[in-house]
Amino acid sequence: MIMGTKHIRAVGWLLYRLLSNRVYFLLGVMIVVVVIMSGISPYFFALDNMLGMTRFGAVLALVALGQTLIIVAGGGGIDLSVGSMVSLCSVVIGLASQAGLNIWVAALTGVLAGLVLGAVNGVNVVWIGIPPLIGTLGTLYTYGALALVLTGGVPISGFPDSFGFIGQGDIFGVPAQVVLLVLPAYLMLQFVASKTVFGRRIYLTGVNETAARFAGIPVKKVRFVLYTLSGVLAGLGAVVMTSWLLTARPDIGSGLELQSITVAVLGGTNIFGGEGTLHGTILAVLIVTMVASGLQLANINPIWQLAVLGFILLGAVALNQSIGRLTMRRRGAISE
Amino acid sequence: MESRDAHAARISDSDVARGPELGRVAKAGYVPMPGRREYVTIALLAVEIVIFALLVPNFLHPNNVSTVLRNATELAIVSIGMTMVMVLGGIDVSVGSALGVVAIVVAWQIQTGMHPLAIALVALVAGMAIGLMNGALVTWVRIPAIITTLGTMNILRAAVFGMLGGRWITGLPPVFAGLTAGSFLGVPMSVYLMMVLYLIFWYLLTFTPFGRHIYAVGNNAEAAVLVGINVKRTQILTYMLLGSLVGVASLLYVGRLGSVEITVGQDLAIQSIAAVVIGGTSVLGGRGSLVGTLAGVLFMAFMRNGIVLLGVPSLWERAIIGALVILSAAVDLLVERRTARHRLAERSIKRASASSISSTIPGALRAGDGSTAGGAATPGSQ
Repeated sequence: MIMGTKHIRAVGWLLYRLLSNRVYFLLGVMIVVVVIMSGISPYFFALDNMLGMTRFGAVLALVALGQTLIIVAGGGGIDLSVGSMVSLCSVVIGLASQAGLNIWVAALTGVLAGLVLGAVNGVNVVWIGIPPLIGTLGTLYTYGALALVLTGGVPISGFPDSFGFIGQGDIFGVPAQVVLLVLPAYLMLQFVASKTVFGRRIYLTGVNETAARFAGIPVKKVRFVLYTLSGVLAGLGAVVMTSWLLTARPDIGSGLELQSITVAVLGGTNIFGGEGTLHGTILAVLIVTMVASGLQLANINPIWQLAVLGFILLGAVALNQSIGRLTMRRRGAISE
Repeated sequence: MESRDAHAARISDSDVARGPELGRVAKAGYVPMPGRREYVTIALLAVEIVIFALLVPNFLHPNNVSTVLRNATELAIVSIGMTMVMVLGGIDVSVGSALGVVAIVVAWQIQTGMHPLAIALVALVAGMAIGLMNGALVTWVRIPAIITTLGTMNILRAAVFGMLGGRWITGLPPVFAGLTAGSFLGVPMSVYLMMVLYLIFWYLLTFTPFGRHIYAVGNNAEAAVLVGINVKRTQILTYMLLGSLVGVASLLYVGRLGSVEITVGQDLAIQSIAAVVIGGTSVLGGRGSLVGTLAGVLFMAFMRNGIVLLGVPSLWERAIIGALVILSAAVDLLVERRTARHRLAERSIKRASASSISSTIPGALRAGDGSTAGGAATPGSQ
């Protein structure tokens, strides 16, 4: 009897603490991933590889920030159309540039297009009241098809090289899109979410919609703003993607909806709303990006990334659910 | 305060007075028959057919109609299961990838020359196993349906790629030709199969306890638990039934095309969800019928055929489907909200008048008149 019940309980408590603080948990997972990937490929742990990798996660990070806030605001909130919005915004940038607009004006047009597309989602879901799942599934198809129709399925290229700086350039060795867009967006939204009245409103709306209404919070307005924000972030993502590839492709954003939901949930966002942090989401983006590029370095067919993502998504939600249940039980025990 | 209590007491009195009537309803049982919403879809379908028939000369030619029907059988059969899952309050976006996996399994077995009946059995079991996986994750692990099926969709899609290994399966011997190519009285055999399945599942949903349980769970899962319905078993069984219907559909897919491509079943989920939503199934669960779904499937099938015959680029198809999903969900919700408000108003008028009649027996007529006016004002003030 070396391990008594007391010890088991202590270990269980430690595990629970580790798992229930998502940031520590994700840091732990990240270390494990780095160790495994370094074992697979000696190139993995080089500093420039690590920094270069953030380039692959930039668009996902932008889109996932919006996705996280939408899910946190509750009411079954989810945005399945993010990938199609990125595609359609990219096409808008391409068409605007083809029409002779200055490339930076064209990029701004793309972001504005994102704003409009996000607002359309907001109107559908918030004001008309279509369940977010169906509403954004509908726009997933509509926006994606519009991107195809507008280009006839043919990619648009011929952007000036100077435009490539956002997607391909470096600033002090760090990919330009991370310094110029992802970090500012992350820090700003983090500040808004944690230090402002609007941020508190997002969380209360997600925790208890009825209470939020009684507290005088304009629940609909809060959610509408978030869907619009998601569109703007998708527009920024389109700028990054288009500049990176110097091509506007109508399928450029496909798959982002699953990826963004996966990282949000892996980052500790409760799929039923009210819980979640942007720190967690960004850490989850880093982990998913590392796994993806590690698989690439190990020469594993990118198709399997789909399956890996699927498993991570299911595992992460299952983990969230069981931790939630444990926490409820503990709270119940305390209140007794 | 006192008067409100008295008012409440009177309401319950009047409910008791209506007791026998309620009892009769309960005895007859709730039968989820198609209502006005389904007739709207059928009317839409009729209008659509008339418009296309006017615009496209050969639209109503028997050959065209039979082609449309034959191509719609897989969607129609999967949509039976999708209706049940959505009435239950769930959703399944993995049906397309699931159909792909089962179709590849079927193709492999055809290549080994197995007996068609054995292949059909394997397809049913494989589909059911996938349904069980989804159902177990939704029910036991309590992962929301959309997340579960998004996850399994991608896992199964990767499996399709892995199983095909980058090469299509082509040139399969026509083992199921009798089912897919043959016809009786000018109607393809697969359409008969579809109709039989619709009849069976319509009976199952409408007249059996299991079918009613699906409606009950979709309307209010907690209440369903309280009246003794085994909610978890109902959920898992429903997902398994959807899986086995996907199995049937994959048999038809392989039989019809004689090959399995890498894009197998790509748009099936959205098309099926669209057909079900257009057919009047509530996206919030608890309401819907197979009559509406069949009308929704045919609406989609004729729409696809019609726009191709009209010469609209096929790229538009997905945009139209997406827009239709949003439109029909929006219209449903707006109508539902209006009828709910209407009903609330009606009920409060009835209650106000009924209660005052029962309480003041002498001079009932005068009091009834007075409170009807008062009752009518109530919904306005709410």
